[in-house]
Amino acid sequence: MSEARLRELYEQMLLLRHFDQLSLQLKLKDLIYSGYHPYEGQEAVAVGFCGALESDDMLLSTHRPHCHAVAKGCTLEAVLTEMMGRVTGCSGGLGGGMQYLDPDHNFYCGSVVGSNLPIATGIGMAIKQQGLDRICMCLFGDGASNTGSFHEALNLAAIWKLPIVFVCENNQFAEAMPVREFVACERISMRARGYGLEEITVDGNDVEETRRVASALIERTRRGEGPFLVEALTYRLRGHYVGDPEKTYRAREEVEVWRQKEPLTRARKKLLQAGVNAAELDAMEQRIQDKLETLREWALQQAFPTLEQAIDHVYIPLGKGENTCH
Amino acid sequence: MSLITYGEAIRQAYREEMRRDKNVFLMGEDVGRWGSLYRSSKGLLDEFGPEQVKDAPISEAAIAGCGVGSALMGMRPIVEIMYIDFITIAMDQIVNHAAKWHQLSNGKIKLPIVFKTQGGAGRRNSSQHSQSLENWFVGIPGLIVVMPSTPYDVKGLLKSAVRDDNPVVFIEHKSLYFDKGEVPESEYLIPLGRADVKRTGEDVTIVATSWMVSFALKAAERLEEDGISCEVIDPRTLWPLDQETIIRSVKKTGLCLVVTEAPAEGGWSGEASSVVHEHCFGELKQPVKRHCGLRTGIPYGPVLERQVVPSEESIVEAVQELVTRGALITVQSGTYNFMEGKDADVDGIDHAHVGRSDGRGGRAFLEETGGRGR
Repeated sequence: MSEARLRELYEQMLLLRHFDQLSLQLKLKDLIYSGYHPYEGQEAVAVGFCGALESDDMLLSTHRPHCHAVAKGCTLEAVLTEMMGRVTGCSGGLGGGMQYLDPDHNFYCGSVVGSNLPIATGIGMAIKQQGLDRICMCLFGDGASNTGSFHEALNLAAIWKLPIVFVCENNQFAEAMPVREFVACERISMRARGYGLEEITVDGNDVEETRRVASALIERTRRGEGPFLVEALTYRLRGHYVGDPEKTYRAREEVEVWRQKEPLTRARKKLLQAGVNAAELDAMEQRIQDKLETLREWALQQAFPTLEQAIDHVYIPLGKGENTCH
Repeated sequence: MSLITYGEAIRQAYREEMRRDKNVFLMGEDVGRWGSLYRSSKGLLDEFGPEQVKDAPISEAAIAGCGVGSALMGMRPIVEIMYIDFITIAMDQIVNHAAKWHQLSNGKIKLPIVFKTQGGAGRRNSSQHSQSLENWFVGIPGLIVVMPSTPYDVKGLLKSAVRDDNPVVFIEHKSLYFDKGEVPESEYLIPLGRADVKRTGEDVTIVATSWMVSFALKAAERLEEDGISCEVIDPRTLWPLDQETIIRSVKKTGLCLVVTEAPAEGGWSGEASSVVHEHCFGELKQPVKRHCGLRTGIPYGPVLERQVVPSEESIVEAVQELVTRGALITVQSGTYNFMEGKDADVDGIDHAHVGRSDGRGGRAFLEETGGRGR
């Protein structure tokens, strides 16, 4: 990968890192109300995979969605203010931090673990049947790989050869449950064999690697070779949510070991080795922080949805739909 | 008009809608090769091909999720869950996604999905293949719930459900597939959300759903011979409920019996009953009476399963009791006293009469079994 390309990816990861930190601060001030699931340490997955999609490709995300959303192209304004419950959010402030829909950017997430895999099959089926030049990517965690929905969806996608890239973002913990104790096989990607699919594992903390693999799989999926299941190995540097009792499931030393391997440090080191000026990277980071500070101030000014808005669109009044005949 | 079965009426609806719109497709377990369990899609795989008639693996969550995803992409899926008992596996998709996305997208996303299934007793399948679970869906904002009782209704309502932009839970009844009824030769639609007065009458309003409608009609015929004139209303759509038709009728008759196969407790029958109490209190000669399935798992075999749900005979008895009670109170006191009903059930619910072969009613059974019947 060229130095310029890596620099771009690094910049995107920096944006996500600082966006996550800004969100964390807002959560600590109780300006984000729902459970907030920090993304720190996993940025190479969002940038590598979600960022490799075209704007009309479909992306299904999880209960830890904010960085996936931004990497897919949702605006920082819409994602942040959704978390803050403001009317300018993706779902008008009615979804909150774990569940929102942004059809304009083909981004959908929800807070029931594993639920998005079956929905991906429907999207993939429609794309295939309608002959569209689009694909669907579905992100989920190691925890979701233990749900019945995972199995049902993988099997259906495989028998119907649907254009879907399933990405298991293995951050080593399903809430407080370490993957090594709660997943029977050594690698989640090994489960792909059970569906007649290739076993693909990628270092999820190496953004060059995630992007390279993502682009290749997306390309192959466009050619009709899908579906694919890829496991991206990464590590959740913070708790499942802010302030969770971390010591009940992992040692501080373990976190420190992984911190040495986190994706931004690695990318920056490579850039410096390639001769990029550290001051230049620092300036880049400062620009991002300034931009996010402006975003924060703007977000705090945004209105909350009204009760009228909250109970609107529960369903379409009968006889009011475009396709109804009564 | 032609005389066809409920199953054939469903097949006609599929055929007409799939021809009209290529985005309409049917997906489910054995809907293709078998033409569905009760043959309601027989022959459609040959006619429309595997893109519009899809056999799916036994994966209810994936089938329902496939409905959500494909509807998101502009298709109009009819996803069949073979037995409503299996919809438990698909609940996450229906309740957490299909019912929520229109609202979560501020109205931008429409999910025109028909979750089509069948429920109820009558085919000797015991408690994991015979349940009446419609109440769950009535309780979920965002879903339309339809339960057709005749060939005419099932065709017209299914076509409307396919064309409606909301997710619709469409619940057929396994004991109705081979019932015949008159259906017009030409195309027609029945609007969702409208009840049908199946029989007009003056003395009692019977509100009955699905399989119970046919029993209510037969009971009404017998009661007519005894001089009791019953109006039978089939809501057809449980939610949104056509309150107006029910209210209009009860204001006329002053007596109302709600009959469902599902147990009364926590159910739609309570919703219907409340609507009547809220709007017709002044006109009511007696509190609304509910005559519903016993709160039990459907027992195995042809005899017991019929005894735990209302029947023609038990509806006749329930109406007679309601009428007698209403007449007594009116004559004796000239006013309403809801606590003085003759032989009122302890819990105010008239459970399906059990052990009718020896003439004992539901209450006797309950007393005899120390309440085990519940």
